Amino acid sequence: MAQRAVWLISHEPRTALCGTVRFSRGWPGDSGCLRYPTVEKRARVFNGASYVSIPEDGPFLKALLFELRLLDDDKDFVESRDSCSRINKTSIYGLPIGGEELWPVVAFLKSGMIYACVPLVEQTLSPRPPLISISGISQGFELLFGIQDFLYSGQKNDTELSIKLSQLPDLLLQACPFGTILDANLQNSLDNIHFASVTQPQKQPAWKAGTYKGKPQVSISITEKVKSMQYDKQDIADTWQVVGTVTCKCDLEGIMPNVTISLSLPTNGSPLQDVLVHPCVTSLDSAILTSSSIDAMDDSAFSGPYKFPFTPPLESFNLCYYTSQVPVPPILGFYQVKEEEIQLRITVNLKLHESVKNNFEFCEAHIPFYNRGPVTHLEYKVSFGQLEVFREKSLLVWIIGQKFPKSMEISLSGTVTFGARSHEKQPFDPICIGGTAYLKLHFRILDYTLTGCYADQHSVQVFASGKPKISAHRKLISSDYYIWNSKAPAPVTYG
Amino acid sequence: MGPLSREAWAQRLAAFRASPSAFMADPEGEDLGRDLLSDLRNEKLSEQTKVSLLVLSLEYPVQLWPDAPAAEVAATSLLDTLVLLPPRLSALRRLLLLAATTALVAGGALGPTSGASCRLLPLLLGLASGSDLGPGFGPTSEQRSLQATACECLRELESCKPGLLGGALGLLRGLLGQAGPVQPFSLLLALALRNTLLVQSRAGAGLRGLLMAGISPTRGGPWDWTLVEEGDAHLQPQAPSWPAAEEGEHGLEAQEPSPEEARELRAAVAQLLDTTYLLTPVAQAQLLWLLGWALRGLQGQPPALFKPQLVRLLGTAQLTLLHAVLALKAAFGEALFTAQDEALLLRRLTLAAQHPALPLPTHLFYLHCLLSFPENWPLGPEGEEAAPLLLRPQLCHGLLPSLLHDPMALLARLHLLCLLCAEDEEEEEKGLVQSPRGSLEELMAGLQQRAALEGGPRALATLCFQASYLVARCLAGQPTVLTPLIHGLAQLYRARPMLAPHFVDLLDQVGPELGEPLRALLRQEVVSRPGRDEALRWHLQMLAKVADGSAQSATLSFLQAAAAHCTAWDLQQALLRVCRALLQVGGGDGLADLLQALARQLEDPDGRDHARLYYILLAHLAGPKLGVALAPSLTAPALASSLVAENQGFAAALMVQEAPAPIRLSVGSREIKGPLPVLQLQVEALESIYSLELRFRVEGQIYAPLDPVHMPCLCPGRPAHPLLLPLQPRRPAPARLDVHALYTVPTGLTCHAHLPPLSVNFSDLFLPFPHPPEGTGPGFFEELWHSCLPEGAESRVWCPLGPQGLEPLVSHHLEPFVMVAQPPTIYCVAIRLPPNSRLLLRLEAAQGDGASVALRTDDWAVLPLAGDYLRGLSAAV
Repeated sequence: MAQRAVWLISHEPRTALCGTVRFSRGWPGDSGCLRYPTVEKRARVFNGASYVSIPEDGPFLKALLFELRLLDDDKDFVESRDSCSRINKTSIYGLPIGGEELWPVVAFLKSGMIYACVPLVEQTLSPRPPLISISGISQGFELLFGIQDFLYSGQKNDTELSIKLSQLPDLLLQACPFGTILDANLQNSLDNIHFASVTQPQKQPAWKAGTYKGKPQVSISITEKVKSMQYDKQDIADTWQVVGTVTCKCDLEGIMPNVTISLSLPTNGSPLQDVLVHPCVTSLDSAILTSSSIDAMDDSAFSGPYKFPFTPPLESFNLCYYTSQVPVPPILGFYQVKEEEIQLRITVNLKLHESVKNNFEFCEAHIPFYNRGPVTHLEYKVSFGQLEVFREKSLLVWIIGQKFPKSMEISLSGTVTFGARSHEKQPFDPICIGGTAYLKLHFRILDYTLTGCYADQHSVQVFASGKPKISAHRKLISSDYYIWNSKAPAPVTYG
Repeated sequence: MGPLSREAWAQRLAAFRASPSAFMADPEGEDLGRDLLSDLRNEKLSEQTKVSLLVLSLEYPVQLWPDAPAAEVAATSLLDTLVLLPPRLSALRRLLLLAATTALVAGGALGPTSGASCRLLPLLLGLASGSDLGPGFGPTSEQRSLQATACECLRELESCKPGLLGGALGLLRGLLGQAGPVQPFSLLLALALRNTLLVQSRAGAGLRGLLMAGISPTRGGPWDWTLVEEGDAHLQPQAPSWPAAEEGEHGLEAQEPSPEEARELRAAVAQLLDTTYLLTPVAQAQLLWLLGWALRGLQGQPPALFKPQLVRLLGTAQLTLLHAVLALKAAFGEALFTAQDEALLLRRLTLAAQHPALPLPTHLFYLHCLLSFPENWPLGPEGEEAAPLLLRPQLCHGLLPSLLHDPMALLARLHLLCLLCAEDEEEEEKGLVQSPRGSLEELMAGLQQRAALEGGPRALATLCFQASYLVARCLAGQPTVLTPLIHGLAQLYRARPMLAPHFVDLLDQVGPELGEPLRALLRQEVVSRPGRDEALRWHLQMLAKVADGSAQSATLSFLQAAAAHCTAWDLQQALLRVCRALLQVGGGDGLADLLQALARQLEDPDGRDHARLYYILLAHLAGPKLGVALAPSLTAPALASSLVAENQGFAAALMVQEAPAPIRLSVGSREIKGPLPVLQLQVEALESIYSLELRFRVEGQIYAPLDPVHMPCLCPGRPAHPLLLPLQPRRPAPARLDVHALYTVPTGLTCHAHLPPLSVNFSDLFLPFPHPPEGTGPGFFEELWHSCLPEGAESRVWCPLGPQGLEPLVSHHLEPFVMVAQPPTIYCVAIRLPPNSRLLLRLEAAQGDGASVALRTDDWAVLPLAGDYLRGLSAAV
């Protein structure tokens, strides 16, 4: 269950090493990973003859970057990396170092940081046991996710990131003193250090560092992201999906205040599916547990209210995630690109569905042209909004604004001419080959959800002293909202 | 060295961390551990610096205190420092506890004979139980944090020495019920309980007694080490490995606790499970793994205890929790999960593997879990990835791969798709809107199109070939899938020949189902080119891989056309590699012409030499031998350079190999024929050999040189004709023949072996005189007898005889040479000894048990040999 070592590496493409180990204890020139010697001692016994020691940072970094294909050089075919039989289907790697193979190394790249750890395997490594049987794998993932959340939650600039990076070693000493992780929520560990002097009463949950003192209030916010793939083709069905996140912040006095939040749907609202809840939720109705997008929908589908009884942690947390299949996409569009000798003729039509709130915070359509040169000439006509041209980036941005017109339907047509392509400046895309092209919608609507889902303030039950102020917010955001050129092949997604 | 300042320490620690091994190799490095310990008590150093020192000791105890005595000293010093701390709030207390624990464990000093261990353990237990240890252990506000830390230290010690806390089970159980942090006690109790279950049967301690005992930690006297297994050999996994892999290996099965014990244990487990909700998700998962394994196979412990937790756990998005549920599933199977539960778990897993709110690494891990799902009734072979039976294609709709996925997600989902395609051949017929096979075909076409993209990154090509490999491996028996794949790949090659190395790699990895037709298509693809393509180097690399005996004329005309454009050395080498590949499969007339042309035409002398060598090989070696000559050597280790490897192959094939004797030779019975003595050799083959040539050398040159003997083939167990070896003695004397064998083995290698020498005896040289006409024998013998003297020599020998007398001796050994016989008493024997000597014997049986032999020869040198011979005969009697 324990980790033998943890690394945090910043990925720096186009530098000599392509990366730097970022753990630091605040001394100049001090770097390295976190190593756990007592765990290493056990690894030596458990792994027996198959034991491979944790390498120093230099060789580890090189091997990891190579394995993750993050070294800049991929000009030539290298068998140890490019052979068709070297298939990796998980974020768990075997790193060849000094003639031996270090396995399993849990590693992933996110926002320019590489997170890596080596879980202890409590048996021999040869033959390799299946990953599912190694408890340290999920523990390692949780630790790395915890570090990632801590570094990037609420972080706005590089200074904040460096401050958080400098706090990290002390936090890990708190949250993972002997390599066995006690709490993946590092923010909670930070609070724990600060609350340490407070005498805690009995039965304090480990995931709650202290108690809140002050005015009671509960804030619930529902954010729905809608994604869509629209093809305007006979043989390919368009797809769209809503993913909701319910975030709560409960400022309530007492050690274990109980709260129940109910999510409701209007009549004819789209049922919530695939509900995943925060571990603080104490019980879950089986109807919620079994409602899943895997099954074909029928009228008998459970449509709420969705009750979530829980004891809140101190910090803001994601109470639950859900998906939903709404009957129509909020904006239906079609996009046609025709190649005409030296230019492209494009036509775009967008139609807002009448049921959708016509009051955007913003709404834009981005029309990129990949694998071509810069835009040299453009003629166009828009029925609504304005068009901005980013010539060097070969990108058109159609700014639609806050509202669709009364007809709910807008269009754009025009011709685009491109110059000679220079590989450095114009974007490359492995999908948009030949006629394959898309436009991507970006929009946000406040105080609205596509499913209609809302948290009824009156149905929020709080079992704690004082009557809390309850506030609820909703918003709909587009995410991966693609409309593909209907005159060319397009990649299909399922589900 | 005196106390260091903050800055000096900063520099020193930075130097150490930059390279611990280099720092410790320095003479100054030795003092680091000692200086660190002494400076922890230096009042001039700030607490922050001391924290840095302790943190270093947590990470590198083995480097600082490499052996058990040093670790013991260090731990003692750390504990002393702890006691001496002033009673105010300090960040050092917690770290000192962690450091002392780490030093003892990492240095291997933990044990009943270690003074530091015997101080640390009661101290930790005292801190954990919240006893008042005096003002030296900080203000009460720090107690709670130290309580948790002490629990962590105890847990680590118990992990490394299972059974250490066996005696404290009752105390821990009591503490969990009272005040105190829940999580540290829960985890500590669960681990101690699990380890105690493991070792108690051996130690003979009653579980119930342990669970009920409520010892006082500080006044409890010496620590109880009875349950600790000596040595690391008994270290047990904290988490179960998958049960299928190790059923019966561990001692938990078939234990039968008494009903009271079972009740007490159940109560303790229930107590732990009841408060899991208060633990952080990662700690909950640890607890479930531990308890799951502790109770597996234990009688009287129904896994239903876990049931109330499951619904809550199944609903969370937390990776560790769902993983722990899967571990429980693997541990208890049907006892905890009914068929419906199993279906629900599988659906949650399927859902989690694609839930848009979860990150990619989580999706990938869940996909792995799906394919390794611990089914109640698995059908397939264990340890192999397979789609669970309950996972129907409809459920997997959202898990199908698409070009938009990340490469790893694409491959993982493609694997699942392949498994579905393999299972659902029959369902294909039903005409689903998008059959799995249809999706597969579409995806592969898209991948090929992307890989064909000019200037695209290599990763796209690699992904396409990885996907092709995966499909070929999972669906090798399905031509309906493979045929479009193969055509797509051929098309990809047409579009982007620079992917040749990927094709070569793919052909190396896949089986014949995909490999053979793909080879043929690619060959066709290459040879239909005009041969002056800019991608010529790739075509040649490809052709060297795919060229075989078929369609050789097209291949040769392509090569002929290409030769004109092969001006650079590497191109010429690539061209010659193709020729070599053709040679290996037998060559042909056209090839000989081409090689001759190349030997003249190529600009580079190395190229010309190679072409000539190939031509000579083609002209002189038969097909199979040629193949062997050019095949990579099996004995030589693989070398990086192809040139060296190539040379090694040649060398092995063209040089004569030394080998142990493949045959056994012996001299057979004599047969007298012709004018010369002939040695009849019996040959026995020990292995199959061909073209055997036996070479003989006579030691001392007393015979004329012997011609070699040839045999076309020899097989073990098949009788061979005797070999006749005519001897031409220059002197009538026995000799030793040195024998060498040169032959070919079935693999085509030519071998040489030195056989044991053969002895030619004196009697092997005997030849008879021509028989005189009937009746003139005695007269002729007398003439010979008299003609020997005066140049010759005469002697007389006494020959002892057996009871049968003289007759058997003569008939056995001298029969062909008897000229006059008066059985059974008198025999006259005349022997011709080539080149031109004679030996005459007159044997007369005397009274009693012997015979007198008179002998004459015209060559005095023969006399001692004859004497020896006769004595040998009589000795044989």
